[in-house]
Amino acid sequence: MATPAPGSALLPLELIDRCVGSKIWVLMKGDKEFSGTLLGFDDYVNMVLEDVTEVDDGGASTKLPKILLNGNNVCMLIPGGGPEAMEI
Amino acid sequence: MSDAEETASNPVSEPLDLVRLCLDEVVSVKLRGDRELKGRLHAYDSHCNLVLGDVEETIYITEEDEHEQEVQRIIKKQSEMLFVRGDSVVLISPFQ
Amino acid sequence: MENGAEDTKDPSGFLTNIIGKNVLVKLNSGVIYKGRLQSVDGYMNIALDECNEWSEGQQVRKYGEAFVRGNNVQYISADT
Repeated sequence: MATPAPGSALLPLELIDRCVGSKIWVLMKGDKEFSGTLLGFDDYVNMVLEDVTEVDDGGASTKLPKILLNGNNVCMLIPGGGPEAMEI
Repeated sequence: MSDAEETASNPVSEPLDLVRLCLDEVVSVKLRGDRELKGRLHAYDSHCNLVLGDVEETIYITEEDEHEQEVQRIIKKQSEMLFVRGDSVVLISPFQ
Repeated sequence: MENGAEDTKDPSGFLTNIIGKNVLVKLNSGVIYKGRLQSVDGYMNIALDECNEWSEGQQVRKYGEAFVRGNNVQYISADT
């Protein structure tokens, strides 16, 4: 069988669950981005984020203390904070 | 506690209650695509499909003139009765 | 059931916790609404009191009360 044995594969939402309490980088459909500390999320990947930096498609950034981000337009989640936290 | 008691203590316990309170009143509705409606709310449902009576529709159009300057143009339309599909609704507010 | 209204960590807990407070709601279009949060539901439909509409950094309009359809919402923030 090609399917992995039960318990061996990490489900996508389990990966996000591991990020709770740490920094996360959220790329939205379009060029918008959010980075902040992930406090919680639900099955729709709506997320509660703290100490948030919002970067809009024009590149302007805004700080927000705490938000509920709608999961509808989320494209990709990257553990470990925004681009400034990455060593690329 | 019955639903009736709950709504009596707090008239807006869920967002659509605010729309319910607008029934038979004049509302202003913001739609996608820079459009607005003003009219009397006859009916609505959970999708925000609306039936409005005695409606004024306002359409905001930005276009460039011959000098490539942005100019705003406003078109107004009147209708006796209108059905609005809920997916184009952005905001509903009692008209003041 | 979550741990009552104290748990602000998951989305539904966050929402119950900010009811009655001043919030900032940003739509996908970029338009911002500031006002007092009356209620929210599972679709992220929102009812606001003393609502101000901001577009491109300018206040453009005031509504006494406003219902915002949830599909347009990008985020809800506890207002600063």
